[in-house]
Amino acid sequence: MAVSDLRGFIAALERSGDLVRIKREVDWDMEVGAISRRAYEKAGPALLFEKIKDYPPGYSILNGPVGTWRRVAVALGLPPETSVRQLYAAYEEKHERKLSPVTVDTAPCQEIVMAGPEVDVYQLPAPMVHDGDGGRYIGTWDIIVTRDPDTGWTNWGMYRFMIHTKNMLTGWPQATSQLAIMMKSKYLPRKQAMPVAVVIGCEPLCHMVATDPYKPGENEVEYAGGLRGEPVKLVRCKTQNLLVPADAEIVIEGEVLPDRIALEGPFGEYPGYRSGTMGEGVLVQITGITHRKNPILTLSTLGVPPDDSSIAASLTAAIAMKRGLRRRGVPVKDVYVPPEGVTHLIVVSVERGGSRVARQVLDFFTARRVMVSKVIVVDRDVDAFDMNQVLHAFATKCHPGRGIALEHYEGRGNALTPCYSADERRRLKGTSAVFDATWPEDWEEEGVPIKSSFETTYPDWLKEKVLAHWESDGLGGRL
Amino acid sequence: MKREYVTFVRRLSSLDEGVQTLFIKDLTPGPRKYDTKLVRAQLAREPESLSQGDLLWIRSETGYLHPKAWGIRVLEELPPHVPGQPWQDVFASLKNLK
Repeated sequence: MAVSDLRGFIAALERSGDLVRIKREVDWDMEVGAISRRAYEKAGPALLFEKIKDYPPGYSILNGPVGTWRRVAVALGLPPETSVRQLYAAYEEKHERKLSPVTVDTAPCQEIVMAGPEVDVYQLPAPMVHDGDGGRYIGTWDIIVTRDPDTGWTNWGMYRFMIHTKNMLTGWPQATSQLAIMMKSKYLPRKQAMPVAVVIGCEPLCHMVATDPYKPGENEVEYAGGLRGEPVKLVRCKTQNLLVPADAEIVIEGEVLPDRIALEGPFGEYPGYRSGTMGEGVLVQITGITHRKNPILTLSTLGVPPDDSSIAASLTAAIAMKRGLRRRGVPVKDVYVPPEGVTHLIVVSVERGGSRVARQVLDFFTARRVMVSKVIVVDRDVDAFDMNQVLHAFATKCHPGRGIALEHYEGRGNALTPCYSADERRRLKGTSAVFDATWPEDWEEEGVPIKSSFETTYPDWLKEKVLAHWESDGLGGRL
Repeated sequence: MKREYVTFVRRLSSLDEGVQTLFIKDLTPGPRKYDTKLVRAQLAREPESLSQGDLLWIRSETGYLHPKAWGIRVLEELPPHVPGQPWQDVFASLKNLK
């Protein structure tokens, strides 16, 4: 079973050797971000900053809870050395399990309560993450909780939120996100503010579920319980009619205002660039802040991969995409979202290929909100998780004239795609491409080029002989 | 000692001298650094041309820092928001305030 709160997860990371405590005083103003960014880029551990300038002893920041596959394995309660393929399989196996949450009356996340005029978000050590960001981002690795006023459905998502003033946040859920759809369809027509909670510092599976693209109407909290193997405890907010994880470190309660806006962004985002999304977000009036004693603020210093976003989304997005492709009748074998591709590049292996299947794949990725701009489709003999094999297939099997199909769209593209112009990003205008690296379905078998590899070009009896003599030939340990 | 602020614009060319309404962030060190204010202020390209003025650093929508600060003298602090619906362009709304 996985752990039930962030402190238990920190202890687990410490046991596996995947956490370093930074005990000297560090500045929340960029120093925490700079250390964290370099740690990601060196495949370093999660970092617990224990002494933050301007803040009381005991207030700390945890960067990078699931910034490596080892830490994802620990989060899932698996051995740290579990392979990526095995992690995908474990997540997929648990993905459909649901466990209803339990509601409690008292909660660790409400040990300290600020409400009304006492609200002062500057009492929390929100970092200035990158030089040049629009402000101090308190929501980078968070869960944003909102509720449908008609159906009662509670949505969890992960969106960035920045401190505006001591009692206001600005945020940027994309205009095509589930939060945006709920606000635009349910609250704006009634000119009502939308209750919202910014939840910070749960055990990581709750946060990963928040990144998982479940359909509207699905309660992420039930899937989080299923993944954890134990129900999530929920407690009612002090100032809003919302239920939030009781074991969180910090909860910021408030309302998305329907008639007022303020400056948000820019921010160094998950694609690895600060590409200019700014000034088109939402404004939140904070009504209350609750937190544990000695709160731990979770942080993801986003940037070039790998980091928590590219790793967590690799897993959660891939499983959702695989399910979606299967529903559309695509003969999918595996979907891999390489962290280096920051969910802009997807690899799909199929049982049988050809241009018709490649087109089906492209249609799936561009049917609604489009977050993906490039998809490589490979045949079943290519291991989708092995980018050496994928790149080889792409280089040799994708016909530059016939093997690339495009789909253009407007109003539903990904505003964070760095290669789009400022005008395209503002209009959510974009293009997605599928690179068909499979053999054409109408080629006769005897004419299909034979891959020259050990596995594919030698008879079984000879391969067995080679393997039987491998060690005695002095090649042991190299398989 | 001059105070220092930063503001964000889509392009430097979209910022004018004279009396303007803009969001600024206070760069005074301490736990409230980067607090946002909406102000009506006198702006000048040359800081020294503004008596009793402070410094205003300017960043673009990508966070690019223009190398030279402008002068700013805050005339009035306004409530820190402008009319508009979520996801509307805050700069368009600022323009409508004028």
